[in-house]
Amino acid sequence: MKIPTAMDDSSVSHHNGGQVGSQIGVNVNNKQNDEPSQSVQYSIPGILHFIQHEWARFELERSQWEVDRAEFEARIAFLQGERKGQENLKNDLVRRIKMLEYALKQERAKLHKLKYGVELQQGDMRPPPEELPPEPEPAERAQWKQGQQLIKQYLQEIGYTDTILDVRSNRVRTLLGLNNEEQGEDPNYRNYDKQQRDRYEICSSHAMNSMGRKYDYGGKEPRKSGVSTGGGYNEEGLSVQETAAVFANFEFLANQEMDMDEIDDLDAKQPHHAASKQGEEVDHEAEEVLNELNSLTESEADGGGQGDEYPVGKFAGGPGVAAAGAGVVGAGVVGAGGAGGAGGEADEEPLALGELAQLTVSNEPEAYDVASANKESFRKTWNSKYTLRSHFDGVRAIAFHPTEAALVTASEDHTLKLWNLQRTVPAKKSAGLDVEPLYTFRAHTAPVLCLAMGAPRSEECFSGGLDGTIRVWNLPPPTADPYDPYDPAVQGPVLREHTDAVWSLSAAHGRLLSSSADGTARLWAPRAARPLLATLRDDAPAHAAHAAHAAHAAPAAADFADAGARAAVVYRDGTLLLYDLETTQVVMRVSCDSPMTRVRSHPTLPLLVTAHEDRHIRFWDGVSGRCAHAMVAHLDAVTGLALDPNGLFLLSGSHDCSVRLWNLDTKTCVQEITAHRKKFDESILDVAFHPLRPYIASAGADGLAKVFV
Amino acid sequence: MADGVQILRRNRPGFKAKDFCRWPDEPFEEMDSTLAVQQFIQQTIRRDPANLEAILKMPEAQDEGVWKYEHLRQFCMELNGLAVRLQSECKPETCTQMTATDQWIFLCAAHKTPKECPAIDYTRHTLDGAACLLNSNKYFPSRVSIKESSVAKLGSVCRRVYRIFSHAYFHHRSIFDAFEKETHLCKRFTYFVTKYSIIAKEILILPKLDDETPITPPVGESEA
Repeated sequence: MKIPTAMDDSSVSHHNGGQVGSQIGVNVNNKQNDEPSQSVQYSIPGILHFIQHEWARFELERSQWEVDRAEFEARIAFLQGERKGQENLKNDLVRRIKMLEYALKQERAKLHKLKYGVELQQGDMRPPPEELPPEPEPAERAQWKQGQQLIKQYLQEIGYTDTILDVRSNRVRTLLGLNNEEQGEDPNYRNYDKQQRDRYEICSSHAMNSMGRKYDYGGKEPRKSGVSTGGGYNEEGLSVQETAAVFANFEFLANQEMDMDEIDDLDAKQPHHAASKQGEEVDHEAEEVLNELNSLTESEADGGGQGDEYPVGKFAGGPGVAAAGAGVVGAGVVGAGGAGGAGGEADEEPLALGELAQLTVSNEPEAYDVASANKESFRKTWNSKYTLRSHFDGVRAIAFHPTEAALVTASEDHTLKLWNLQRTVPAKKSAGLDVEPLYTFRAHTAPVLCLAMGAPRSEECFSGGLDGTIRVWNLPPPTADPYDPYDPAVQGPVLREHTDAVWSLSAAHGRLLSSSADGTARLWAPRAARPLLATLRDDAPAHAAHAAHAAHAAPAAADFADAGARAAVVYRDGTLLLYDLETTQVVMRVSCDSPMTRVRSHPTLPLLVTAHEDRHIRFWDGVSGRCAHAMVAHLDAVTGLALDPNGLFLLSGSHDCSVRLWNLDTKTCVQEITAHRKKFDESILDVAFHPLRPYIASAGADGLAKVFV
Repeated sequence: MADGVQILRRNRPGFKAKDFCRWPDEPFEEMDSTLAVQQFIQQTIRRDPANLEAILKMPEAQDEGVWKYEHLRQFCMELNGLAVRLQSECKPETCTQMTATDQWIFLCAAHKTPKECPAIDYTRHTLDGAACLLNSNKYFPSRVSIKESSVAKLGSVCRRVYRIFSHAYFHHRSIFDAFEKETHLCKRFTYFVTKYSIIAKEILILPKLDDETPITPPVGESEA
């Protein structure tokens, strides 16, 4: 959020921003820096040619003739092929850039016209991105000035300038409060970033092959925008240079200077900080291009995933690429153009906490902010898309299919339902899509309270109910018809050892962890002949000491921790116990005052997150047991928790009817969605992240489930 | 937590089954949620499922369409319980058609062209179809007010749902009896459709179910 840069603390002195190529050796970490250099020889065409080459050599060796000649031939072929490949790619990129630019121009013109009723005279003032943008012609500039004067007049007439001031000072204030965080922050903010990071960390070495080359190409791009915006920045964003010149021409924004001064003061202590940010933003853009390129050229799955995930409209051209490409090319371009509308746009933007927070500190092209803000809002705002209505009573639990765009809900009406988000019924009003359930699971004889999805490809799910049973279900295929004949095979084994309501289920590594009001948590191998593997009961004397509690220490929830080696169980008396699953002994015990309702363990870190009835979410160090952080997260009891698969975001639901998305690094709320109505005093009962796809979901006491994209 | 001062009617994770929904009744007038009618109906049923008159006594100034609609939702929901029991006994091989008495074979209306589904499928399809209809954003977009034209849809749902009772009664009597003993659902349903004349009397083929519920004092768990 706050600082949208991916490399925040690392590259401190990159005033020239996204010059990926020129960055080498400047600073500390930067995987980025290493990549381009090591990756040149490992690109896809490289590999292909290398294979060719190898093959040629093999031929050579086998035949033992004309060794030299063949070698040279191979060499020539290799080089020529490479050159051709490079050229093709370059052409392709240039084409894309032009397309994007064109789309952008049109968009800007449209926006301008709509907003101010004046035809935007941009003509060909935007230089082709392949060359460094020349200085704007004086004549053009005069034109611009005229136009801007006009705009300025209009704006003043409608009192826009004041608004701009307000917005800006607001930002300043927010920033003041947020500066500290920004510094300490981990770079990965956006949804988008997490993928990025993933990619970097996971594929750092081998998968680089394919990326490396891309990186090179990408490098060209950002370089330009980097120069322009970066240069602009160096001269306080008002210099007349390249695209930034355009921005500079917006003199009516001169009154910004006041703000700028303010900011400068505030910011005086951390000039590097701001500077680096600038640099990084552009770096970031570079990455974006890379990423998109990747998605273009790499496997479809990847591309598809990304395309899905960041549907960025507006740009007429290529969907996915447009977004990122525009980010790069547009860094300057949008920057300039955006400045015109900046005031207005900033006004319209729902400046929610998150959004405000991510606005950058510096007084560099403000439009830059807007540009990134736009991207942000494209990426990060989750909107309700599907409403799942079919349950007769509150939906207690919700879980996504491990791979498909499908989910299962469990309700107090004693049933579970399977939904396929790709089979929708157009809703009456435009707002969202209605989905009808694919299948209704009937077997529980009481409200179903919890749900867990099996591993990918196992096509199974588990449900636990007030009736004390845990049931294993074989999921019907996503193509099933709701009115197919009844198939008893959908029902799998039933685990009956719990003697009271089963409140939570968690599945991992083929095992199932349940917690029940009978005072135990149990570990299962659901399909084994003797499914019950272990019973976790807290009979430690320490616990008995709290006699009052021990009497009704009912587990509220449980989750696997430490990659399945341990189980975290939270109790209604506010105790959090970590059991070793080998020995079934308690290895860690912490407690707090408020009853706990949920626990989730972080997918990669030894971190446990608990939800409490006192409106808090608490974070526990899974090793030391220290409470790492506690925050008031909602206006009422927190009832649902979910971590995204990369462990960067946290989703929480509460009886205050809202779902909130949190950035795990900063512990700040990124988005709040009011999702469900109240039934008695209950509202939201569960939230979930899709393990692969960009879906989140909430389930409510009002009998509805909602999916957000 | 704010308990004690203010009653929070919540089922908290970790509650025992017997404590589920066991909270003091809330007077209907104080329910300000959009689901007030459902809350009220469920609350009355929980107090005593046998007390049909109390359950079906509509609060004053209540929209009758919504009242009927919410009751039908509740019926369909509780019928899931009967369907679960039937699943274990009512097999497509034995009950190849949806019948009650030998007079009629009911065709399943869930399909494009009505079909002779086995009884268990008929039951499930009817309940699934009812769930879709009653939750349809088109016909029932609100749970506070309901269009007259949508109220008319309730009749056909009731007719089909009644067949589930009758099939269970004539073909799976022990299941029916056990279920009825627990829930009084069929009696309540009959009372409901008669009271609001939703189904013609001659379609109600089940013999009058024994004790036509004298108003007994609440037996079950009464609230603290």
